[in-house]
Amino acid sequence: MSSHLLVMMLFSGFVSLIFAVLMKDRPAEQLKLGGRLFAGFVGAALVLGWILFPFPL
Amino acid sequence: MGRKSRDSRRSRVTAPAPAPVAAAGGDRNQALAAAALGCFVPGGGHLWLERRQKGLVFLVAIPLMFAVGLGLGGRLFPFDSGQPLVLLAAFADLGNGLPYLAARVAGLGEGRVVAESFEYGNTFIIVSGLLNMLVALDAYDVALGRRQGSAP
Repeated sequence: MSSHLLVMMLFSGFVSLIFAVLMKDRPAEQLKLGGRLFAGFVGAALVLGWILFPFPL
Repeated sequence: MGRKSRDSRRSRVTAPAPAPVAAAGGDRNQALAAAALGCFVPGGGHLWLERRQKGLVFLVAIPLMFAVGLGLGGRLFPFDSGQPLVLLAAFADLGNGLPYLAARVAGLGEGRVVAESFEYGNTFIIVSGLLNMLVALDAYDVALGRRQGSAP
């Protein structure tokens, strides 16, 4: 698997799923929290990626 | 002093003290057993406590995350006390429990350092181990009735 974006999304999906199931008891709440966590992870990674783009290490 | 402040003080004064562990329906031995089982088998503590939905999700998701990490070329770190960060990573890996032992016995987790996904694989393996530790601690809390809506 060579797509960095896909690997990052897969990682975000696993972590979001486990945290959502861990922290909430009802499936509807789990879905809501999991979706928000996933969107937060992926969104933050994309925003940080673009912010850091002009500063190569 | 406003009404809200008086009400707030009254609620603090009249709020019942936290129930002791035994009164909350918790049994410390059962909680320790649930945590130990959860450390060894991902989700095992929750399944034993009859939290089937949560237990099944953990039972599938955590080993799958670990397996993806191995598939990405991740490494199972050795217990090398000379390198503190490697030692910490090894303990995090060990948190996976049974999948970790199975991978060790099968000779997996050598790590492909030249693979571009090597660091991703390490991250998957380490984080799945840490998440499993968190899940085991949650099983402990569930058994003690500390979690809202989770009293046995």
